[in-house]
Amino acid sequence: MPYKILDKKELAMNEVWYKVHAPHVAKKVEPGQFVIVRAFENGERIPLTPVEWDREEGWITLITFIRGKTTMRMANELKPGDEILNIAGPLGNPAPMKKYGRVLAIGMITGIVEVFPIAKAWQEFGNDVTTLHVSPNPMVILEEKFEKAVSRHIVEGFDLQPGWGMNEIAGELVKRAVAKVRELLESEHFDMVLTVGPAGAQKAVFNVVKEFGIPMHADLHPIMVDATGMCGACRVTIGGEVKFACIDGPGFDAYKVDWDELIHRIGFYAPMERLAMEHYMKALQGGEQ
Amino acid sequence: MAVKRKLIKERVPTPERPAEERVKDFGEVNLGYTFELAVKEAERCLQCPANYAPCIKGCPVHINIPGFIGKLVEYRDDPDRAVKEALNVIWACNSLPATTGRVCPQEDQCEMNCVMGKVGDKINIGKLERFVADYARERGIDEELLFEIVPKIEKKGQKVAIIGAGPAGLTAAGELAKLGYDVTIYEALHEAGGVLMYGIPEFRLPKSIVESEIDKLRKLGVRILTDHIVGKTVTIEELLEEYDAVFIGSGAGTPRLINAPGVNLNGIYTANEFLTRVNLMKAYLFPEYDTPVYVGKKVIVIGAGNTAMDAARSARRFGAEVTIAYRRGPEDVSARIEEVEHAKEEGIKFEFFINPVEFIGDENGKVKAVKFEKMKALEERDSRGKRKIVGTGEYVTIEADTVIIAIGKHPNRLIVNTPGLKVERGRIVVDENLMTSIPGVFAGGDAIRGEATVILAMGDGRKAAKAIHEYLTKKRENGNA
Repeated sequence: MPYKILDKKELAMNEVWYKVHAPHVAKKVEPGQFVIVRAFENGERIPLTPVEWDREEGWITLITFIRGKTTMRMANELKPGDEILNIAGPLGNPAPMKKYGRVLAIGMITGIVEVFPIAKAWQEFGNDVTTLHVSPNPMVILEEKFEKAVSRHIVEGFDLQPGWGMNEIAGELVKRAVAKVRELLESEHFDMVLTVGPAGAQKAVFNVVKEFGIPMHADLHPIMVDATGMCGACRVTIGGEVKFACIDGPGFDAYKVDWDELIHRIGFYAPMERLAMEHYMKALQGGEQ
Repeated sequence: MAVKRKLIKERVPTPERPAEERVKDFGEVNLGYTFELAVKEAERCLQCPANYAPCIKGCPVHINIPGFIGKLVEYRDDPDRAVKEALNVIWACNSLPATTGRVCPQEDQCEMNCVMGKVGDKINIGKLERFVADYARERGIDEELLFEIVPKIEKKGQKVAIIGAGPAGLTAAGELAKLGYDVTIYEALHEAGGVLMYGIPEFRLPKSIVESEIDKLRKLGVRILTDHIVGKTVTIEELLEEYDAVFIGSGAGTPRLINAPGVNLNGIYTANEFLTRVNLMKAYLFPEYDTPVYVGKKVIVIGAGNTAMDAARSARRFGAEVTIAYRRGPEDVSARIEEVEHAKEEGIKFEFFINPVEFIGDENGKVKAVKFEKMKALEERDSRGKRKIVGTGEYVTIEADTVIIAIGKHPNRLIVNTPGLKVERGRIVVDENLMTSIPGVFAGGDAIRGEATVILAMGDGRKAAKAIHEYLTKKRENGNA
């Protein structure tokens, strides 16, 4: 069933925002849940997080980081008035709504998108929420919205250096995140930490938080295909048990996650994802569809 | 042309593409009958009376099999008429004949007790059913018949919600629409068809055929809402506010995993993931289609049911060397005979009496071998009539860079968590009319059976439609009184 794009903007470098008419999702979605988007006829199914929504007007907003063929094609080919073929959801479990006290919610690069609805809801629920966005400076987004939604919003940005590839960016991201989180935990008291972002960076942050013994909640992003509990692509080991991130998660107790396994599984399709991207770029250059 | 009644013992064969050609693509393996060949096969049928015919008794939806076969012979001089008459007979009981003709285990059902079997080959009922459906579709005869049926439908003014657009749901929807109910199907995936789309491969059941069968349901007035996950997007309680009855046909969507170390290594798939990537997402056309699937050089498929055969034969089409590993013996293989034969022809190896105990990975977290315990069979049989097996304490390790686990599925968990819905061992509990513990909510197919076949799910869909019709008729009469 097609869903109309009501508006679209480039928020920052490679960060694209879509406002989409999807009343079935808008009516039900809760912070922590996600949707599966299939944008094109021969497209893949990708999980995305509704950032904001209006239950009456029936719209949701989505933010994609251009990191593969699908997100690039969406950015290049879809404009307001066009339709996204499929938006299934809401999927996954809502984030727990509890009074934790002082919360540190960390979003790394586009992970901040998923932090937004949860942090906002936690603040509204009576928590004192500090949000931390670790990101290359050109990709910093949602600053104003966070400032309105939570007690304090911190941006830990860094500049991109000429010649940097994904490995260098990831390395700097981890370095910055670890240092900033350590600084915050050493100087202030927190009752709960949340992280969303690349699994390697989440693991590095967890290793710091663990030293302080603070409870930590991690939203995981393994590869998904159907995201309704049918295929098991997203299986993760939590406390020694196999769980499906799509229906048992996406949020888990960070202390129970088998991080190395998760990192291996997320990387498995990287070579084929690059191939798909190259194929698309070649088609663009050749002027083919 | 006068035909002398004479027993023809041998089946008229259906042409098949040679194994060496077909393993290179996902095109259909069996090419089916032409009208001429179909009539030749139909003529072999002894035309047992309907009250006796063992084929009708063996069919879960009780198609009048001698009836439709007889039409092919009766109107042999007018092929279009013959097929239309035959299709009309089939449609009275089965709205998806192009599918069932291809995927039913005929040898265990309609063909099992065929009287011809006492003197020669049994009638090839499956291929005749498939022929009728295919010929009708290619010539637009099915549409013609549909145009005659639709205007005769009397609207009942009551609404039914169906959960899941798989074989059970589609069948229930078709029957209820024909009875005049306003039917809406809620489907979680982006395509209708359920296991027919995500599970059964193109070379066994072309997706265009499934789409055409679903298209016919739409023409009967059935509305299909994709992207709607019942239990998340909408709950059963909410459906009951809007609809007069609900049918759950949510299938056995949760894959069973092996509880052995290393099961989450890269390169280890559930059959559901592997087949969903290949069939629903068309990964065999990557990178024209965006979803990839990694298939290595040496593939082990664990299990020996139809799903295992489908996974093995799909992997073979990516050029892999494929071995099926089964903990029991050859006599307990549960796949259709035709699938096992096709798999063997295509060069798939079978290893029996080995049970996986550990998946061994390399330094990158990718599978490189599977360690199996050798098993042996006892004389004693289990509740399903299979010989019990025990470990021998001896082990064997087989190299593999891809492993596909095809040992079965559980019912979908999202639905089962509905408050008030009685569930036992993951299966929805129903009464003899397929009604669940919630009044007005019915269920069928793998959601109540655990794991069965397409045709049993369709049988449930049909039975549930009848029960829903009775339930809603009462409701209507009470409402009017």
